[in-house]
Order: sequence, then structure tokens, then C-alpha cells
Amino acid sequence: MNLNERTTPWSRLAAAARLVTDDRDTAAPYGFATRVAALALAQERKVVSLFERFAFRALGAAFLMAVLSVAANYSVLSPSPALAEDELIEDDAVAVLLDA
Amino acid sequence: MPDDDPPFDLAGCLDRVRRQDQMAARELVEHLYPLVIRIVRSHLPRRVAEEDLAQEIFLKMFTRLAQFQGAVPFPHWVSRIAVTTCIDHLRAQKRRPEFRWADLSESEAEVLDNVMTNQNDVPANDAMASHELVHKLLNQLKPDDQLVVRLLDLEQKTIAEIAQITGWNQSLIKVRAFRARRKLQKLFQELQKTERS
Repeated sequence: MNLNERTTPWSRLAAAARLVTDDRDTAAPYGFATRVAALALAQERKVVSLFERFAFRALGAAFLMAVLSVAANYSVLSPSPALAEDELIEDDAVAVLLDA
Repeated sequence: MPDDDPPFDLAGCLDRVRRQDQMAARELVEHLYPLVIRIVRSHLPRRVAEEDLAQEIFLKMFTRLAQFQGAVPFPHWVSRIAVTTCIDHLRAQKRRPEFRWADLSESEAEVLDNVMTNQNDVPANDAMASHELVHKLLNQLKPDDQLVVRLLDLEQKTIAEIAQITGWNQSLIKVRAFRARRKLQKLFQELQKTERS
């Protein structure tokens, strides 16, 4: 279908429509560029700050979990003076056998 | 009067924008606005303000700026963002109700009758009515088909140019153009039938 031949109703109609020129102003409206530039750069900063905020929160949560886990297992980690060597031997079947 | 303005330093401006220079970002928007607004006006979906759509396009441009490798000229890259954003809006809008003869203004109906019954060109003083009619008819097509016909038949772009703007391959564009023109032909036939009845 060759439109240049103007054989179809559509081609004739399109040819007539092309005669209309758009005379509207193409310059950016007042304040448009400033607004868009500010929004664009703020958007980038927001993405960065969102990352920062999550990163700091994750760091805080990790620290808290580390402290809690140390506190919960403190009794196991710390050397107990009350635990005598004899008591340990009593629990050890091999030691009891060797002592006998 | 000679134009004393120095040529716009696009590469320098982009470098400054990448360094978060707000003034450069503003200059870039002002420089590209005519290009973007022409695309927006040609493919503006119903009930969408052109300024809102232009703003959306520019924000996308800034967000994706890191992806621009310079393989194509920057204005071409921005044009593609503008066209795809318009297409997304056209796809999102609801389908128009059926196109009827009764919905046309008197001058539009006259032009339509003229092109359907007469092999001659439409008189120049009917250009505005033809323009309106063309847009009403195009709104009946699928967004992708609409875009191809607009670029091909109204803006008289070549298939290669459309491929560059849309990123679609040339065969696909030809198929879409063929399908869209056939649908338009069918629309004309249906209108002729309803007018006679």
C-alpha cells in the first residue's frame, strides 16, 4: 500500500491532516526545568539515603544481637571457679576407670 | 539578526549532571524540552496533561542516566524514553468506545464523506477537521499500531527511523503498519455502511 499514491480514504485523509502545523510554543514553561532538576537530584539523594538508613539499621540490629547472644551464653563462656576438678572426674567414666 | 548563542555543550552538561550539578540538570531539561514536548504532543494519551508526561520522561531520563553508554546520540536516547513512556500510558488507558458517525462534528463528517466517496484530495481548508478526524480514527487502534501509523503516515518517518526511535525491528514495524492500515480500512467500510443505513 503506497500512501503517496493517495489511493485509499486513509491516505487522502492523512495527507490533509499533515497540512496542519503545530504552532504551539515548545519552550519549557516557567519553573518547569528548575522543578524537574530539583526532583531528579532529590530522587537520587533519596535512594542513597534510603540505603544509608537501612545499612545503619542493619548494623545496629547486628550489634544488638551480638550483645544479646554474649549475654545469653555468658555462663558457658566464663570460667566457673565453683567447678572443681573432682566433679569433672566424677562425670568422666574413663577417669573413674583409670583411678580405680 | 545572527544568532550569537554558543552551541549547547551537551557532553559537558552531562558530565556536570553526573556530578549532581543542579544548574546543569536544569540546562539539560531546557535544552531537551522542545524535543520531548513534540513527541508528547504527537502521542499524548487522553486525560493526561502534557506537562505531567514530560516531567515523567525527564525523571526517567535522570534515573537512567548512568545506563547511557553513548552508543546513540543522547537526543535519540531521550526520544526513545519519551516514546516508550507515551506507549506505556496509551496501553494503560481504557479502550475507547466504538467509533460512530454520530460522534463526529459537522465538518469532520463532511471530510469523512468526501474521502470515502471522492478520489480527489481533501481541500486545504478542511485540514483542521481532517486532523481531528485522523486522531479520532487512530484512537481506535492498538497503542503500538497507533504509534507506527502516526510516525509513518503523519510524521512521514522512514521504517529505519521508526526502528531507531522505538527499538523494534523493521519487519515488526512493517507488520504493524500493514495491520493498522487494514484496520483503518475496515473502519472506513463500517462507517460507510452505518452512514448508508
